[in-house]
Amino acid sequence: MNTLFVNRHKLCGVVTTMEEGQSKGSIINGMEGVESKGSREIMVAKPASSTGACDLVLRVLALLLTLVATIVLGVDKQTKVVSVQIVDTLPPFHVPVTAEWHYLSAFVYFVVANAIACAYAAISLLLSKVKGLGTLTSIVDTLMVALLFSCNGATTAIGVIGYQGNSHLQWNKVCNVFGKFCNQVAVSIVLSLLGSIVFLLLVVLKLHRRT
Amino acid sequence: MASIDKPSDPEYTSSSTPSAPEGVDYFKFDVILRFLLFAASLIAVVVMVTSDETELVLYQGIPVPQPAKFRYSPAFVYFVAALSVSGLYSIITTLASLSVVNKPHLKTKLLLHFIFSDVIILGIIASATGTAGGVAYVGLKGNKHVGWVKICHVYDKFCRHSGGSIAVALFGSIVTVLLIWLSAYSIHSRIPK
Repeated sequence: MNTLFVNRHKLCGVVTTMEEGQSKGSIINGMEGVESKGSREIMVAKPASSTGACDLVLRVLALLLTLVATIVLGVDKQTKVVSVQIVDTLPPFHVPVTAEWHYLSAFVYFVVANAIACAYAAISLLLSKVKGLGTLTSIVDTLMVALLFSCNGATTAIGVIGYQGNSHLQWNKVCNVFGKFCNQVAVSIVLSLLGSIVFLLLVVLKLHRRT
Repeated sequence: MASIDKPSDPEYTSSSTPSAPEGVDYFKFDVILRFLLFAASLIAVVVMVTSDETELVLYQGIPVPQPAKFRYSPAFVYFVAALSVSGLYSIITTLASLSVVNKPHLKTKLLLHFIFSDVIILGIIASATGTAGGVAYVGLKGNKHVGWVKICHVYDKFCRHSGGSIAVALFGSIVTVLLIWLSAYSIHSRIPK
């Protein structure tokens, strides 16, 4: 005789069932239309709203984070007047130098990737009510994780070079002049990192709920 | 809810027989993909580490031998470290996958644990690829706005090695995405219909 007991974890609708005598360890969400074979699995009638609500909240969060990251870097611009002394006899020239986000291709990649992730989060929010698109959403979520992590890495690398310079390659640091520009880049990177972690949670939660 | 007492073995085998062929196919692909990930990580690390080059560069009118090593750039150091981590992870998971070939009831638990760590490794590999790719792009093209000169016209072997390493790491991240899709699909197909 197999005794069954259920441990219900309320976090985002992940329900664990454990059976003695058979270490299956499978997780089932009853609202996916699962029919129990009658012997081994427990069908749990969980309302779809609590599991779907967590998904929805995470998607809105991802949308907001990537949107703010795009905007913060997209409006990043700083102009500074630098005095350049060419010849000792002449007074120094005051040259205005500008730093814009689109001067560096890594930042362009960052803005474009975050814009794509933001648009995808909006589209998947609208399409979350349509049944049957769960697998496709999971697939594209994985791609978004990869895209966002790679653009974070590229921008961080360029930011570190701008912050510290690279003496071996004769690349001078820039952030001592353009402090506000670099600070905005740093804020944007942190926001995008949080957004990519939210996408990661979306992938993992959907797959945990599916079993 | 309710559970019906039935003898375990006939029910288990009859319920697992229709899904066993699919499980075996996914399992083969799983092992192959994990081994590909290990190979890609190993190749990328080795190619990047062997990319040191010394060239004669004019410094104040005198040609001076200047080296270019991968550890001069923190981005490339992070790249090597991250790909080493993923290589180690792929060895462990390949062996784990191979060890559960004869134990189907452990496979589901293993798949669950693997998906979480697979997504994290995807994040690590993708960020390493992006980091090294960003720096390599600046090294290739230079950036006149910021005053960073390009170096690939001088250090061609270094640039070839790092470019090839980054391409292999990109392939590794694609393999990781396929692994996650495979795990998702095989978990999805294990839901009893």
